[in-house]
Amino acid sequence: MRRLGAAYGASPLHALAVVASFAVAGYAFLRIAQSPSALGTFLWFGAAIVAHDLLAFPLYSTLNLIAHRSPLGPGDEWLESRRVPAINHLRVPAILSGISFLMFFPLILSLDSTRYAHYTGQSADVYLTRWLGICAALFLGSALIYAIRLRRAPRS
Amino acid sequence: MKIRPPRLPEEPPPGPTRPAFWRSPLRGPWLTSLLGSALLPLVVVCAVTGFLSQAAYDPSLGGNSLLPRGGLGVDLYFFSWPTRPSYLYALTQGLHVSTGLIAIPLLLAKLWSVMPKLFEWPPVRSMAHLLERASLALLVGGSLFVFFTGLLNIQLYYPWPFRFLTAHYYGSFVFLAAFALHVGLKLPTVARAFRERGVLRPLRADLRHTLAEPYREGTTAPLEPDAPTMSRRTLLATVGAASLGAGLMGAAQSIGGPLRSLGLLAPHGRDAGGGPNGFQINKTAESVGIKPSQIGLGWRLKLSGRSETELTRDDLLAMPQRTYDLPIACVEGWSTTQAWTGVRLRDLAARAGVEDAGQVVVESLQGGGALRKVTLSSGQVADERTLLALRVNGSDLSPDHGYPARVIIPGAPGVHCTKWVSSMRFEAA
Repeated sequence: MRRLGAAYGASPLHALAVVASFAVAGYAFLRIAQSPSALGTFLWFGAAIVAHDLLAFPLYSTLNLIAHRSPLGPGDEWLESRRVPAINHLRVPAILSGISFLMFFPLILSLDSTRYAHYTGQSADVYLTRWLGICAALFLGSALIYAIRLRRAPRS
Repeated sequence: MKIRPPRLPEEPPPGPTRPAFWRSPLRGPWLTSLLGSALLPLVVVCAVTGFLSQAAYDPSLGGNSLLPRGGLGVDLYFFSWPTRPSYLYALTQGLHVSTGLIAIPLLLAKLWSVMPKLFEWPPVRSMAHLLERASLALLVGGSLFVFFTGLLNIQLYYPWPFRFLTAHYYGSFVFLAAFALHVGLKLPTVARAFRERGVLRPLRADLRHTLAEPYREGTTAPLEPDAPTMSRRTLLATVGAASLGAGLMGAAQSIGGPLRSLGLLAPHGRDAGGGPNGFQINKTAESVGIKPSQIGLGWRLKLSGRSETELTRDDLLAMPQRTYDLPIACVEGWSTTQAWTGVRLRDLAARAGVEDAGQVVVESLQGGGALRKVTLSSGQVADERTLLALRVNGSDLSPDHGYPARVIIPGAPGVHCTKWVSSMRFEAA
């Protein structure tokens, strides 16, 4: 028994929990497999597994790197010089704008606007303007706070 | 038989598999534990309300079940959906969508925080390790699949070939199974992180006092951290703000009233115009192919039970009218409360000769659609507030709102409140 445990690499409880978890997942996959467009469902599920790690993460990490190297970035020894770093005043509104776009892009870009109009009787056009307005408010607010912080910062 | 992992070099190759590659000083067991702890209650509420949403359709009755029938389909519903309180479905479904929205930014942050673990070395240490990693693939894939299909559904956008409900429902099984395992396996890690660093203590540090968590092999704490440019406070405040904003969209379109105008990006947070019929529509008459001739003077309600009759709209208006304030709550997580006037279903049952009414099968004029034909439970028929509504807010229903008559049921999903009713067949209890 101990040799099995050593070969497995964890306790029997671990094995039990894992098997139970896969059993439920397996049942769900079976039901999906029996449904129409099963292949499409599995493909989209596969895309979901890799979407963040292979698409989103490289994208936003690169953007962050660019911001770091830009004049707005922290530069060298900013901590010692006690200057107010600008980078977060770019990052925070960018993150909020990015997440809001990622979450609501179908409405913002009026994708499948016919269906939206059919269901609600209204046009989806307003969402682009609203989102741009939100982004503008975020960046402006951030710039304002940055200006205030600069004013209050002790002169070096 | 000893299971030996394939021969790989002891030292990780250059690149992300080396711990020194990951430079963010904010990553570490504490950050991941905090994000996970925030996600846990949200996922639990979202899952419970999700399953309640299925139960709300009374899938054991007639053709109400929207999931594929037969085979290994398991019905998890043991009770008839109640009619009290009248906002029951509005509450459960509003919570479902809102907790889902709130969870998404937290989920994204969590995925960022555990990124180094994708590249841990060696990639497989043992069978247990392999199975854990496989389960994590299902967790990551399942969570993004379920949350994003839900997110796109509430915006009425369907870029995929499959049926949303089947995929979202069974996808949630995959996600929750992996989630439960993950919580069980990581509880000791979380407990340790909170014990060592406090639950909220690291939030007290401003940028100058932000320190990287000490490196420990196998964790996400960095080996060679860069100098911090953002405090954990700022990071979590930003993620929190995103979550709050997303949640506000859900709450605005669900709670309504003055809050609805704050739902700037909410699909159903719009101003629907003034007047008695000025509230949110789901499916306009034109979109489901209702012709004006069908709902004109020639419209009849086919009423059957022990006897069969046809009633005109005037006949219905001649029956005792009742008015109740009732919400209509949609599966996309929005609702609106209006004052409905019409005939009690109980009275219609009596008119059909079924005094002790059981179920009723309601049919709509609309040609297609999943629930053009719905079975209501005896509890719903018996409730005095369940109406065949003819008027709303004192005026006739508009065609988009179901003229000449629509059903309104307290506490039930909006899709059961059939619009453009054509027939009702009562069955004895």
